[in-house]
Amino acid sequence: MNEIIIKGLAVMGGLGLAFSVTLAYLSHRLKVESNPLVEKVLDILPGINCGACGFSSCRNFAEAIVAERKPFTCIPGGEDVNRKVSQLLGIQSQEVKRVKAVVHCGATKDEKKVSSFYVGPTSCAFVDITLGGLDCKYGCIGLGDCVSVCPAGAISIKRGKVVIDIKKCIGCGRCAKVCPRNLFELVPWQGESKIYFVACNNEEKVGYVKTVCERGCIGCGICVRIKDSPFYLQNNLSHINYQQIFNQEILEEAKNKCPTKCIQELDA
Amino acid sequence: MKELVLIFISTVLINNFVLTYFLGICPFLGVSGRLSSAIGMGFSVIFVMTFASSIVWLIYHLILVKLNLVFLEYIVFILVIASLVQIVEMFVRKYSPSLYQALGIYLPLITTNCAILGCALFMVARNYNFLEAVVYGFSAGLGFTVVLLVMAGIREDLNYCEVPKVFRGAPITLITAGLLALCFMGFSGLIRA
Repeated sequence: MNEIIIKGLAVMGGLGLAFSVTLAYLSHRLKVESNPLVEKVLDILPGINCGACGFSSCRNFAEAIVAERKPFTCIPGGEDVNRKVSQLLGIQSQEVKRVKAVVHCGATKDEKKVSSFYVGPTSCAFVDITLGGLDCKYGCIGLGDCVSVCPAGAISIKRGKVVIDIKKCIGCGRCAKVCPRNLFELVPWQGESKIYFVACNNEEKVGYVKTVCERGCIGCGICVRIKDSPFYLQNNLSHINYQQIFNQEILEEAKNKCPTKCIQELDA
Repeated sequence: MKELVLIFISTVLINNFVLTYFLGICPFLGVSGRLSSAIGMGFSVIFVMTFASSIVWLIYHLILVKLNLVFLEYIVFILVIASLVQIVEMFVRKYSPSLYQALGIYLPLITTNCAILGCALFMVARNYNFLEAVVYGFSAGLGFTVVLLVMAGIREDLNYCEVPKVFRGAPITLITAGLLALCFMGFSGLIRA
């Protein structure tokens, strides 16, 4: 018995040693020279691998900008990171447009009508291709595919409604990519205290909207008729033109006048 | 010689690792999106499989059997495969950074590719001699590569097809793999006993 243990240990130890020596030698011989600048840039970058820049990781992004030396934007990093990296590489710093995510469905679990139950994997992507779960075929399914991909932990689901913490949101847009119903929009944000948005995505006429949801936009146009209003109607649904310059009071007024209370705000 | 040819043909076509034994499905589905990375992956697997089966044969017959330590086969095989994969990874990283990027996580994942461990275990279970083991490992890798390339070709063409929304992505890939496996069943009558 003892003999087998000793022999086993010797064989395993010997093989392990032989392979590790080979690997160590080869790793020395095949060493890849990496640019020390990449490491420095990587230290400055947020390092959350959010993918907003179009690269799959911060390391790939750092390698690309060190190699190309072109102006770049790292949205989550904000101005601070962009300035530091630009200085390090000696390139022109670019103005960073800060964006935040809003979700175009603000109905809670009680407000959304459900006439057929869904049983299956708890993922919005699955529910979206079935007929069950939610009567409104535009609205938020509320199973939180967006919650699981958010690198900043800014999304939570409260009473079946997606709530975004604007303070935590870095504007990477991962949620927008994963949402099967394209409910997310990245809106520009310049430090206002509140972000207003239309909390509905239903493009049907009022009759249908009323049958599936209490909170839906009925396309009445009250918000559009306010003076200097940034709202416009498209496919029976109200939208905000965020490019237009407007003041927050108009939005507040529209929010109060909205008959179904589907213009909502997020505190920043 | 006849034995070697038989082993070669039967492993590449008839008892194909991917489509008959359903081993190594992870890289088969993961890297078959583009032909260029599929070629790189295929050659890496051929290399690892050939060397793994020959080194495993040597270690198994010259050390483990002699010292009565056959029960250690799994852990020793994994050790050999992991080290070989590391070596391949270093080579690819050094000499082809673009391939290294394209293969991504699937390159280190060859370590846990069940096709390679399966190849080593089959080879031991069938009592092949050294030459047969080398041919077996090589043809298993070649079979994997052939199927991977066929699959990558089909999937590149699938990009231009109007696939129904519910079938897009993984479902159509799995259906394609299933049909391909059915096609490979046709090879089962290739060699008359």
